[in-house]
Amino acid sequence: MAKKAPKQDKSSAPVALSTKDRKTLSSLRELAGSVVQYAERSRPPHFEVPSRSLSNVKYNQTRRIIEMGSGANRRELFNLGQAKSFMQTVLVGSKCKGLIEQGKTASIRQIFYLCKHTIKGTSENTFDEQEECDPIIEDVEVMLNTLREELHVFASNRGTMVGNITINDSGDTIDCSRMGSGGYSIPSIVEPDVIEFRECDAKFILHVEKDTVWRRFNEDKFWKEHNCILTHGGGQPPRGVRRLLSRLHNELKLPVYCLLDNDPWGYYIYSVLKQGSINLAYESARMAIPEARYLGLRSKDFQECELPDSVQIKLNEQDIKRAKQIAGYPWFEKKKTWQKEIEQMLKNGFKLEVESLISKDISYVTEEYVPQRLEDKDFLD
Amino acid sequence: MSAVKARSSPGQKTLEFSGGPRPVDSDAKGAKLNGSVEPNGQAAGGHASEQNGAAGDNASSHHVDHGRGKRRATAESMAAKQRDISVSEFFAKNRHLLGFDNPRKALLTTVKEAVDNSLDACEEAGIVPEIWVIVEATGNNRFKVSVQDNGPGIVKKQIPLIFGKLLYGSKFHRLRMSRGQQGIGISAAGMYGMLTTGKPVKIISKLSPKKPAHYFELQIDTKRNQPEIINGKGDGVDVEGGKDFHERLKKHGIDWETHYKAAAGQEPQEVRSGTRVTIELEGRFIRGRGSVDEYLEQTAIANPHVTLHYKDADGNESSYERSTTDMPPEPKEIKPHPYGVELGRLVTMLKDTHAGTISAFLTESFSRVSSGVARKLCEEAKISTRMNPKKVGRQEADSLYQAIQTTRISSPSTDCLVPIGEQLILKGLHQVVPGEFYCAATRPPAVYRGNPFLIEVGLAYGGVSSAQKVPLEALTELLSESDARTLRQFLMNTFDGIGSEASDKILTEAKMGTRQSPAKLKKDEIVQLHAAMRNVNLSEGQSMQVLRYANRVPLQFQPAACAITQSVIGNNWRAYGLSQSRGNLPQGPVTVMVHMASVWVPFTSESKEAIAGYPEIQKELRLGLQAVGRKLGMYLNRKVKVRQEGERRSIFLRYLGEVADAVGVLQEYSDKKRTEIYEKLLSIAKRKTAEADTKYDDRGRKVEQAEEEFGENVLIVNPETHEEVQQ
Repeated sequence: MAKKAPKQDKSSAPVALSTKDRKTLSSLRELAGSVVQYAERSRPPHFEVPSRSLSNVKYNQTRRIIEMGSGANRRELFNLGQAKSFMQTVLVGSKCKGLIEQGKTASIRQIFYLCKHTIKGTSENTFDEQEECDPIIEDVEVMLNTLREELHVFASNRGTMVGNITINDSGDTIDCSRMGSGGYSIPSIVEPDVIEFRECDAKFILHVEKDTVWRRFNEDKFWKEHNCILTHGGGQPPRGVRRLLSRLHNELKLPVYCLLDNDPWGYYIYSVLKQGSINLAYESARMAIPEARYLGLRSKDFQECELPDSVQIKLNEQDIKRAKQIAGYPWFEKKKTWQKEIEQMLKNGFKLEVESLISKDISYVTEEYVPQRLEDKDFLD
Repeated sequence: MSAVKARSSPGQKTLEFSGGPRPVDSDAKGAKLNGSVEPNGQAAGGHASEQNGAAGDNASSHHVDHGRGKRRATAESMAAKQRDISVSEFFAKNRHLLGFDNPRKALLTTVKEAVDNSLDACEEAGIVPEIWVIVEATGNNRFKVSVQDNGPGIVKKQIPLIFGKLLYGSKFHRLRMSRGQQGIGISAAGMYGMLTTGKPVKIISKLSPKKPAHYFELQIDTKRNQPEIINGKGDGVDVEGGKDFHERLKKHGIDWETHYKAAAGQEPQEVRSGTRVTIELEGRFIRGRGSVDEYLEQTAIANPHVTLHYKDADGNESSYERSTTDMPPEPKEIKPHPYGVELGRLVTMLKDTHAGTISAFLTESFSRVSSGVARKLCEEAKISTRMNPKKVGRQEADSLYQAIQTTRISSPSTDCLVPIGEQLILKGLHQVVPGEFYCAATRPPAVYRGNPFLIEVGLAYGGVSSAQKVPLEALTELLSESDARTLRQFLMNTFDGIGSEASDKILTEAKMGTRQSPAKLKKDEIVQLHAAMRNVNLSEGQSMQVLRYANRVPLQFQPAACAITQSVIGNNWRAYGLSQSRGNLPQGPVTVMVHMASVWVPFTSESKEAIAGYPEIQKELRLGLQAVGRKLGMYLNRKVKVRQEGERRSIFLRYLGEVADAVGVLQEYSDKKRTEIYEKLLSIAKRKTAEADTKYDDRGRKVEQAEEEFGENVLIVNPETHEEVQQ
């Protein structure tokens, strides 16, 4: 056993490690150290993995974000159901160590390939699917109380930004008002050591749900006219987008308005942006934007905007279930406006996509709908 | 028959009377009972009543005669045709009753009768039996069957009677556990041989090395049921014993196994006494189910004290060595129990007895009848205890019979039964049936209809099917010999334990049609089939093999009619971890042997192929099967558990290397230090799984004690090494 030396390029000069890196490395060492300690005392080793389930999250009323509780799951090496994930956990840890030492970053997909191999003497793979690997990476994050980027792991880019802001990304100055039709692709890691804000004229941020809507706004130069930053997160926004929005909001004091579909999914995206997600509750403090506002679409819009019947999409059973679940979340429970909103949608019996506004006019959403809302300050909190 | 009807159509009456035996009136019945009752009830009964019928015809024909046309036959002309039917003639025409229905079965029955007789003789004399069976093909579908034993031999004057007269023997008149019962078998085989080939039965018998050996060539006079000696001018030939005996035998052209097979480096010992019978008959030599091979193999299982040497029709020689030299104890002869006696038998016994009074008759002729019981019986039957048995009339005999049925008489003593014994069943099964788990159960004796009997059950689990052992050449031969129409049928008929499911599996694997003809297979197709038979996992499709025995004799035919098979099917094997669909034998690599030992085994027919299902027998069968089933269930359960535990451990072990590697990387350990960590984790894993073994059962409950024990009479064998693991 234990013959595989880590693939370290020993000829190249050692990479300069940041303090953060050193801290991460030492916590990785500690993780392995606990296994050694147990083994030497002839005790079965185990890890405590903070639980990332709904039961272990709390809504912090004062900070208005979702926080992770103290609950943790034991992961034992000598437990039939946990043996493999125990092995996977230390394996992911050891690969992250390699990344840090080499000063490189890898996507979660790459980590999956880095860790995937056939276990010696068997036909079994350490990992078969990326879906197995992703939660293990998150486990390592929470166990070490580190951030994903500190482990040198990133997710694929998803989400785009344009607007009157100039930033520095890894040494390159980027003027986000000159990004053409494509926009600036928001990276997965947007910490200050990667992205610095240089100049910002924008007065607010408009976050839309998806790419198609974002293109409409960009084409119509909405951000120019209204002096704002325009972002989208490709549906459920990834960490990079959330973290960037949070930094823009907190560091540049820019209010965030969200233009999302009028359906349970849209409500949930808003919820994640505002309070944080259940799965990544440990990151809420860095990512949640409790002051974010919900601009649209609203259940009342079908009538108010006099939309044709043809744009309605019937709520299916799952939508109804999900809507009721969302209405029951502690952070929505006491907000009468939200209860009314969800109730209205259920009463309507249909959902509306932002694209439905196109039935009025191609640029109705950029020229009338959003400006009107902004002017009226007609948001949901 | 009503009088009115008789008058209205008198002609019909005549015809009916002469047409067949109708013993309806009491007169006729009386005549039958008073007439001599021959051992063969069927032939004698038919004969007697035919005469009665003729008499009735004669009496009534007078007044219906006139006015009619020509008579077809007169009573006198008919009387001329009415005569004795000899037992031999009867069986010559009804050979199927004795197991000679087809050439294939005839060959087997001949071997079987000869071997059974030899074993009975050896055991009665207290000689550890050694049997030689030689089957030679002489062409034209004829086979010469020779069976020799090392028994006590037969005295000269008895030889012709034993081998040349039907229904002559020592076993019919007594109640004693033995293989043969009626004294029909071997002489019927000889008669069959004579009828089909015209060749006489050859017998040589030797009592001791010094004394001369008697050599006879016999034919049976089927009309008189008498032996006819052909050689030595009707006297047989004596071959002088002593020195040069073997040379003299050769000169006479007599085959004789002179010496026992010796262990390597030892002087072979001379066969001092014994009998050899040679019968030439028309037959068919086959392998597989219902073959001589199978019979000998099964005999070896139930008779672990016997050594069998076998040379088959193709000249292959094989031996089944005895696994013990302990002879089974001699079975005691018992008197019949009153419950087992029928009215007719009772009447005969009353006539034959020497006792002066009924009371003495009852106590002397029956077991478990004390004078007190005898008095009670007489009271119940309202006859005097001092009555002369010879004067007991039909009416009184009937009431005595009724009295026996209603009076409580204690069960017969059961020490007359000699079971094979659990230990020897295990040995016998282990010797012949490959497997990994064996268990046996001998039930205490019980009684059906006044006959004591006991049931023994043995079980072997885990053997491979005979289909997987068969070599290519043998398969080619089997295919060419088979009379099965389809391949599927061929597989099912030839190999034990292969049911329809398994044969379908094999044929799918071989990519052949189920309805293909076995004889028309090409060479490469046979190779393909052979490979498929080897490769297919048959243990699931295999159905249980049931070996049935009655007094140590294997029963090879009519399994469906037999109480043993019915009980096996009726038992719920699912409870013991085997799969079984309703009304079928369970599936799995299991062989079950069931032995019924009794002073009188109730066969469903004279050919002794199936046991009748009396409720008492069925109950004992059920209990015996359940006893071995429970043990099998425990074994299978434990096996599953061991496998699960092994899997558990292997899961841990599988990941330990990876964990040690990753920890080593994180801690920047040297290879040596990594190996150390691995070793430490390994020892924890072993301890952890061992702990789990003892602490929890499969439901996760804590177990106080170690495993439940199998109890006695279990043999576990490591299937790879064939070493005994546990006994």
